[in-house]
Amino acid sequence: MTSEIVPQERRLKFVKPQREWKWEIAIYLYLAGMGAGAFIIGMVVQWLGLSLRPSTAFTLFGYPVDLSRAAFLWGPILVAIGAPFLILDLGIKRRFLYACLNPRTSWVARGFLILSTFIVLGLAMFGRSLLPAGSLGGRTTLWILVEMISVIFAFATAIYTGVLLKSVKYVPIWNTPLLPGLFLVSALSTGSMLTILSALGYGLVFAGGESLGLIHKLIGAEQILILIEAVVLAVYLLTKYRGRDQGETSVRLLLSGELKFLFWGGIVLIGFIFPVTLEYLYAHFPRSPVLLIATGIFLLAGGFFLRLGVLASGVKEQLPMHKYVEMKVQLSTPQRSISPGQ
Amino acid sequence: MQGKVIMIDQEKCTGCRQCEMVCSVFHTGASNPSRSRIRVVKWEHIGFYLPQTCQNCEKPFCTEVCPTKACHRDLENQRVIIDKNLCIGCKTCIIACPFGAPSFDKMERVTIKCDYCDGDPQCVSFCTVKAVSYVEADQLPIGKKREVGAKYMELMARR
Repeated sequence: MTSEIVPQERRLKFVKPQREWKWEIAIYLYLAGMGAGAFIIGMVVQWLGLSLRPSTAFTLFGYPVDLSRAAFLWGPILVAIGAPFLILDLGIKRRFLYACLNPRTSWVARGFLILSTFIVLGLAMFGRSLLPAGSLGGRTTLWILVEMISVIFAFATAIYTGVLLKSVKYVPIWNTPLLPGLFLVSALSTGSMLTILSALGYGLVFAGGESLGLIHKLIGAEQILILIEAVVLAVYLLTKYRGRDQGETSVRLLLSGELKFLFWGGIVLIGFIFPVTLEYLYAHFPRSPVLLIATGIFLLAGGFFLRLGVLASGVKEQLPMHKYVEMKVQLSTPQRSISPGQ
Repeated sequence: MQGKVIMIDQEKCTGCRQCEMVCSVFHTGASNPSRSRIRVVKWEHIGFYLPQTCQNCEKPFCTEVCPTKACHRDLENQRVIIDKNLCIGCKTCIIACPFGAPSFDKMERVTIKCDYCDGDPQCVSFCTVKAVSYVEADQLPIGKKREVGAKYMELMARR
């Protein structure tokens, strides 16, 4: 009896990651996270009493404008730029306002409300920071309250980017609380890098080396955040690899499958190894801001590739019928065996 | 009355895809299987064909994730439907559905799903081998039980 050998490729799993949410969603998650993270870092810097010196004061259309504090708080502008990418992904874009109708159960609707609130509060804080210190009645209890609420909503925005993916329960690589954690840390690390670049830009445009002291403090914090992000990413991938069926498939896609260039090149090399090396070099050559700018660009690009990688590797849980088919294929494939007469 | 649902018997499906054609004709006016609400998933190398359509879950996850409440359970007719005028095409239900039942209609730019053709499913009427049938939800396994029983009878009679 001749044994029928089914070709190897027919016996492999048919792996198809989701293609509904593509680069538009990746850009939105990235900008929302980075903007919220930058805002949080900026507010913390302000609360600690650190500031850029000297404070510029020039007049714009007859109103006094001070950029020294606004340079830290422009994160909400990024979030506001990211939101239209979400609208771009919709089928019927003009109906985007309907998306807030079901906050009782839908995370998309809740996110709409969270992001709108953060954008409004954040832009209010940004606008207020443009005015010289002491305007609008100074730092009254009301403004302090608004500051705290805006930071809470900034955290909510950064965490929401991960919670949105987790809420779609049947994609195993997304269904973990580690994902909002990873996106939060990534938001803080890209946000802190953005703050560093803003401070550097401010220092280069308006003054001499006055801002470098502040920048070096921020770099210290940022290195800790990169380390935490690397650890969280490693733990996330490890737990998913050892977990359920399609989670392992997703991790394999990223590490050795179609997405390996995105992962190893985009996320690991550009997002972690290059920035850490360049920052180490910068510590030895503190006079060249070019190294810092290069670090920044690589890190920010790496943050985007991380979101893209997580989205592109989302493989849905197998239907019971698919498992049945796999078993049927394996059972109907005669194994090549040595029969006694030969 | 529980309401009727579409029951799929995958052993009978021959993969002719007639259901896809009539579904698209009924819903869109033209024979366009990519816009059909029922899809036949084929494994040609083992000859296994699986018609797949909305399961009409009692606790549908698609209605939970829908941000506009376009996807909702129509209690009158006991089915889950998507209101075409509210759907914004965010595709969250497509990712959320564990069965992959909804799909995105590129021409209408909304998500589409089986809606039982308002009481008279066309795929059921046109399937020649009766791989899809429209039965009461609590009567779902009765047909299969009868078939298995008949098979037993036949086997017993041979001995």
